[in-house]
Amino acid sequence: MAFPDASATRVPNPGWGPLSTLPGNPLMWVLILSELLVFAAFFALYAWQRALDPALFDAGQRQLDPLMGGLNTLVLLTSGLFAALAVQAMAAGRRRRARQWLVITLVFGGVFGTIKVLEYADKLAGGLTPETSPFFGFYYGLTAFHFAHVLFGMAILALVTWRLSRDNVETATAFWHMVDLIWVLLYPLLYLLR
Amino acid sequence: MTLLPGSHRLLVTWALLMGLTVVSMLSARLDQATQWQALPLGSAGLVLLASGFKAHRVLMVYLNLRIAGPAWRGAFVGLLGLTLALIAGGYLVARWMG
Repeated sequence: MAFPDASATRVPNPGWGPLSTLPGNPLMWVLILSELLVFAAFFALYAWQRALDPALFDAGQRQLDPLMGGLNTLVLLTSGLFAALAVQAMAAGRRRRARQWLVITLVFGGVFGTIKVLEYADKLAGGLTPETSPFFGFYYGLTAFHFAHVLFGMAILALVTWRLSRDNVETATAFWHMVDLIWVLLYPLLYLLR
Repeated sequence: MTLLPGSHRLLVTWALLMGLTVVSMLSARLDQATQWQALPLGSAGLVLLASGFKAHRVLMVYLNLRIAGPAWRGAFVGLLGLTLALIAGGYLVARWMG
């Protein structure tokens, strides 16, 4: 069953010109586009550096735990489901349920963060720092930049859980899904493709 | 009219995302015996295909881009394709150089 928007119009954002057909807050889509471009540029840089010294990058990849990365992928994508359910609940006027979904999303975000911190602690305890090799420079740089987005996303989700409105929830969860999207691309790049 | 994905579509998408993540992990041969060997090209291709499809589903269902105009859908899918091509190209060049 699909949920029609309460303010049914032909386009989601009339008056936004070329952005009018985008769902939710059009400015969030501008942010999503720019973030995807930034990460694509980093991925290109990673590819270039890896091509210069494939053996060193392979050796670095061997130090990572792809199961932990996979577990975090499952956790983050599940949090995305709860975020989407929160938007759906808001559209149906079920504020209390929406708040519950948002809290569960935050809990899963916390689980992702905990796993990431444990992973960093393990690597650092093993003497693997961003200065160990260019691979670890990229590993820490890319995952920490992504982790910063996770933390910022959690702060926004917490804020909209408190100041609940349809627009707020749609905008915050769109940011959260962007965090999902980037991790889906980052995981195979760093952990799986060897 | 803005249509949000319903519960059924969200749950099916979530199950698909979980399944594809497991497929990626299996394709990458994470079992101990082969963990440190280079992936066969077919397995690497499967990892990339699964990741690309997951990203597409996140865009279209979680972010609800499916209701946007074709130009925006094309722009985001195109950027996704370009990003995957960068990842695949970098991987292939590294293998060739190695």
